[in-house]
Amino acid sequence: MSSDADATGPTQATEPQARVLLAGSLHPLVLLLRLLDGIRQSVFPLVLGIASEPMFLAVAAVVFLLHVGQGLLRYLTFHYTLTTDELRTREGLLHRQERRIPIDRIQDIGFESTLLRRALGLAVVRVETASGQGVEAQLDSLSQADAERLREALLAARSLRVGAVESADPEVAAPRAPMPDPEWTVYRAESSMLLLRGLTDLRFGAMAVAAYGAYELADQLGMFTRLQGVGNTFEQWLRGFPTVVAASLLAGLVAAVLAFSSATAALGNLLAFHGFRLTLRADALSCRFGLITTRQKTLPRARIQRVRVEQTWLRRLLSVAVARADSAGAGRGVDDEAPGGYDVIVPLAPLQSIGAMLPAALPGFESERGSVRRASPRLVLRLAARGAIEAIVLAAVLWPAVGASAAFAFLWLPVAWLLGRLAWHGLEFGLFERHIYLRTGLLGHYRVYVPTHKVQAVSVHQGPLQRALGLAEIAVFVAGGPPTRIPDLELADARAMLSDLASRAALAAMQDWRNPAV
Amino acid sequence: MDSHDEVPQPTADDERPAPVAVASEQRLERRVVAYWYATHLVRALAMAAMFVVVSRSLRAEIELPAWSEYVAWGLAIAVVVSALVVPAWAYATWRFSVDDRLLSMRFGMLFVEDRRVPVPRMQHVDISRGPIERLFGLATFVVFTAGNEGSAFRLPGLSQARAEALRDGVLRARGRDVV
Repeated sequence: MSSDADATGPTQATEPQARVLLAGSLHPLVLLLRLLDGIRQSVFPLVLGIASEPMFLAVAAVVFLLHVGQGLLRYLTFHYTLTTDELRTREGLLHRQERRIPIDRIQDIGFESTLLRRALGLAVVRVETASGQGVEAQLDSLSQADAERLREALLAARSLRVGAVESADPEVAAPRAPMPDPEWTVYRAESSMLLLRGLTDLRFGAMAVAAYGAYELADQLGMFTRLQGVGNTFEQWLRGFPTVVAASLLAGLVAAVLAFSSATAALGNLLAFHGFRLTLRADALSCRFGLITTRQKTLPRARIQRVRVEQTWLRRLLSVAVARADSAGAGRGVDDEAPGGYDVIVPLAPLQSIGAMLPAALPGFESERGSVRRASPRLVLRLAARGAIEAIVLAAVLWPAVGASAAFAFLWLPVAWLLGRLAWHGLEFGLFERHIYLRTGLLGHYRVYVPTHKVQAVSVHQGPLQRALGLAEIAVFVAGGPPTRIPDLELADARAMLSDLASRAALAAMQDWRNPAV
Repeated sequence: MDSHDEVPQPTADDERPAPVAVASEQRLERRVVAYWYATHLVRALAMAAMFVVVSRSLRAEIELPAWSEYVAWGLAIAVVVSALVVPAWAYATWRFSVDDRLLSMRFGMLFVEDRRVPVPRMQHVDISRGPIERLFGLATFVVFTAGNEGSAFRLPGLSQARAEALRDGVLRARGRDVV
């Protein structure tokens, strides 16, 4: 450890203020993991080799040796160093790679340990930056104590830097690293809520994929010819019953399939988010969760670009919601869930308690005053007009093929109008002193909160229909993910918001420049 | 309802969001119209030719109703006409202004866009010049902000000198605040 600190001597000379806080390498038990990995990788050729061609034995040996050798090499050469300025990782013997991540740029520190790693007392440390590629550096694996120490040192270094820059208050500027800040629990998930999360999981897409996979498998195994016979007898068996009984039998079957998928989703959620706890310490939020694979992530509050509170229609009926926080470089679509649930800050809770928790993620939100506004009612008109255009185009396209029946395309018109009504009812927004609030959704409710000082750019957009109706859409660009769009504002409102937000963003940006650590 | 395609042109000017008070508005270089005509017309003629040729060869292969030929010709003519209209129209709608706080851009014919990018939020600025752009002595000023999607904002049709002046202005405005 001390030799490592010496190795960084020359760099210290060029950066006089940088001081090594922590240095180390991977935990030796990683070798065991790599060994198991190697065995797992070579099992398939090994079995093949024993069963048929002995040549595969050589393949198995090569795969095994390569895997273990790579693991050994990585273990021997991997070192990390944390200075007051940056986190440095170094690895490789011939192809040497050194990575430096400035502490200011670190968005997020997460831990992940699978069951096996936990049994060995190991954790994978994931360091995220705003580059948009997600994980920038992955330390696989450190002992849990080392991982914890690294996180503490990183957070302390961060708050030291923030303190040093915000030195208006002399007491704050004093080094406060040795004295850990108190940690308070913002939210602790109850198992009943996690169960509900699973039961209200409407992932029909995932079910469809699973069904397709099953279909493929059945097709490969040539089960369909056999199934056809089964199907025929089933059909005849069904026909034996009166219609009502047959219908209810079918409905029962569908219900059973749905119940099964709900049950698996509930179980999956219970395992993934078991013991979810959201805590706040100093200026960082952290989440700890998981039963089999435990995960922990730390998200400095100043890095939060956007908080989303989402209710699908089913969860809205039960007035419960999910909350997520986007940090810069998340690079995910609005509706996507981050793998492993890393962006979730509340897996499921009553909407009211989420409202009460919001200030923990959005500092200053508790003192926000201002009214929530509705979009222009001409939104309905616009969507109906768009529906009419679509119906006309559809009718014109269908006319040559089906003749007068193409008029059925106009049935789309009332549907479009209804959708417009729903969209208008779902839409509300507010521009508060320090946050933008937006709620959208037809049946569900999707709320978005954006701190105005995180705004990167603003734009007002008008399509031809919107111009005819005097409407405009405003897009607010932040560093995490796609822009937040508020559709169908009155043009005058949109212009006012555009100027207001743009000048606030410019002001906030100038303050960020004077105060770069925040 | 059918009329909204005609609405934009006559009322275009009062429909546009109000100009920024701080900086004076600027327009693109006039010769960008020539550049756009050159590129758009070449592309449009190629597309029109493709439509006609494809419909001909399709008719030779499979049986299509007689009016499919007219559709192809209609499409071809529409593409060429739009290439004739778009450059001048686009030039007429483009406005931008810049001061040491904000870069504002307004443009669009049917779909109107009004963008504000705070100068201190710019992560880096580029000047890009394609080969045909260079022939016309033009440059595109590209601004990047943090984030992944839609984080590049392009300002086309500037002379090299103007683009450089813009870049220097932005860097100066930022430099002052860094200190």
